[in-house]
Amino acid sequence: MLINQLSVFIENKKGHLSKITKVLKDAQVDIRAISVFDSAEFGILRIVVDKPEVGAEALKKAGHVVKQSYVLAIDPSDKVGSLHDVFALLSDNDVNIEYVYSFVMPNNQGAPLIILKADDQEKAIALLTASDFSLIPKEAVYNVQNG
Amino acid sequence: MKIWSDKEKMSREETRKLQFKRLKKTLHHVYENVPYYHEKFKAAGVKPVDIRTLEDLRLLPLTTKEDLRKNYPFNLFAVPKNKIVRYHASSGTTGKPTVVGYTKNDLKVWREVIARIATMGGVTNEDTAQITFGFGLFTGAFGLQQGLEKVGAGVIPMSSGNTQKQIMIMQDFQSTVLIGTPSYALHLAEAAQEMGIDPKEELFLKYGLFGGEGSTEEMRAKLNEAWGIVATENYGMSELIGPGVSGECLAFKGMHINEDHFIAEIIDPNTLEVLPEGSVGELVITPITKEGLPLIRYRTKDITRLDTTPCDCGRTSVRMAKITGRTDDMLIIGGVNVFPSQIEGVLLGIKGIGSNYQIRVLKKGYLDRIEIDVEVVNQDLLVSVTLLDQLYKEIESKLHTILGIHAGIHLVEPKSLVRSEGKAKRVIDLRSENQ
Repeated sequence: MLINQLSVFIENKKGHLSKITKVLKDAQVDIRAISVFDSAEFGILRIVVDKPEVGAEALKKAGHVVKQSYVLAIDPSDKVGSLHDVFALLSDNDVNIEYVYSFVMPNNQGAPLIILKADDQEKAIALLTASDFSLIPKEAVYNVQNG
Repeated sequence: MKIWSDKEKMSREETRKLQFKRLKKTLHHVYENVPYYHEKFKAAGVKPVDIRTLEDLRLLPLTTKEDLRKNYPFNLFAVPKNKIVRYHASSGTTGKPTVVGYTKNDLKVWREVIARIATMGGVTNEDTAQITFGFGLFTGAFGLQQGLEKVGAGVIPMSSGNTQKQIMIMQDFQSTVLIGTPSYALHLAEAAQEMGIDPKEELFLKYGLFGGEGSTEEMRAKLNEAWGIVATENYGMSELIGPGVSGECLAFKGMHINEDHFIAEIIDPNTLEVLPEGSVGELVITPITKEGLPLIRYRTKDITRLDTTPCDCGRTSVRMAKITGRTDDMLIIGGVNVFPSQIEGVLLGIKGIGSNYQIRVLKKGYLDRIEIDVEVVNQDLLVSVTLLDQLYKEIESKLHTILGIHAGIHLVEPKSLVRSEGKAKRVIDLRSENQ
């Protein structure tokens, strides 16, 4: 259920993001989800890609600092309050959310999905599965069927 | 123009005679009371009795900041601790400061030499002097304060910073003399204008006595123009006494050294040989009236030259030219001495960053600013921005503790810093370029 995510250190300066995307492009790595967490001086780029190992290796080789870590991909279903239900379930059960960002997959009718990092991932999986939230398997995220 | 002391008008011969007498006394003082010097002289095979002329001074070993560091804090003091009535310190090269101590008589000498340079710069008992050096362990503020009071001027001990209040007090107290670093003085002039105050029309400044960092003739012209003052420069360092070693008179032909208290030599920094008068080289100073911390042939690492030709002001003392550089890599940031090795020491002690770094010194307005690029190497920091932020703050606060100034930190990717061949270019000083 866990999705491999790449975290890359970025300096807040012009052209830095495109340097990273160029590396991924040249390595034929496709980006599924992307988010930037930043402060005034620096930030962390978080991406989910189709070939995490290949992407991480290419970025490291190009001199970037890369960390691989695991996150959850959730389909909260596209209706009012559904995201709240996810967050409330976790918080009621004392699971802390470290960060969350959203993405879409073309084979999901364009409904928004979320990437979520919890402090206790195993517990989060158990809670979400028990409550019938749909967790997206990593194969589905990595291997998107276009069209 | 008034000359404060007759000592400044002695003939060269009289000066040399007095210097020799005082040198001998100082040599006996250190030989008998500072074990470190006793050993150092012995190792060099020389005793105070071997010094028979002023020229024999060159037979004695040189003293460096390293000697002070090795004897931290008080081992070079030549008097018992109960004779010391004042301590000051400047930043050292390894985290430990360089400590200096003054006896009652040392403070008396300090007042005297400052009174002289204040007089050289145009100050009289009619003046009100605003001191913008920081009052604290650094010598600048206290030195000027005591000497100016000796002249009879009114002292406003503003200390550093608090720019708007500086201008307000300057206007309300009608300050006529500004004391500080030249770069801060330029910054203040700009601040006054931003507050809608014309420094020339609405303030009362006549003279500026600047020190703590070197300056150029261009800076003097800017200072004179911005404030409508007559700016002079003075020179000193805490190891020697603080400010008061030398100062400019209104003939602007170099800084007159208080030669009855300090003997100046110029050496070749590589061969360490004494160079003939007029040569450019490293200034070496021997204080000859100090009791607390008498140093012998102290290497200032400052590059200048000496001139004994007569000065229009009537003083006969030797003059040193403006400092044109350093023989070591010390940086002066807003009057604070910073060694790249201090920065390196801090960085190497912090986890998660690489051994490569780059220091940039630049001007922000008229103020010096130091920026340091540090490479992030630990991927585990990428768990959260908070961790990166903590690293950033750790670096900033440790540097502040050691350097006493705030440095701008930039976290950069590993290997993004240029690695030059051979010796790494650690320091880039951009200050002269963007002036």
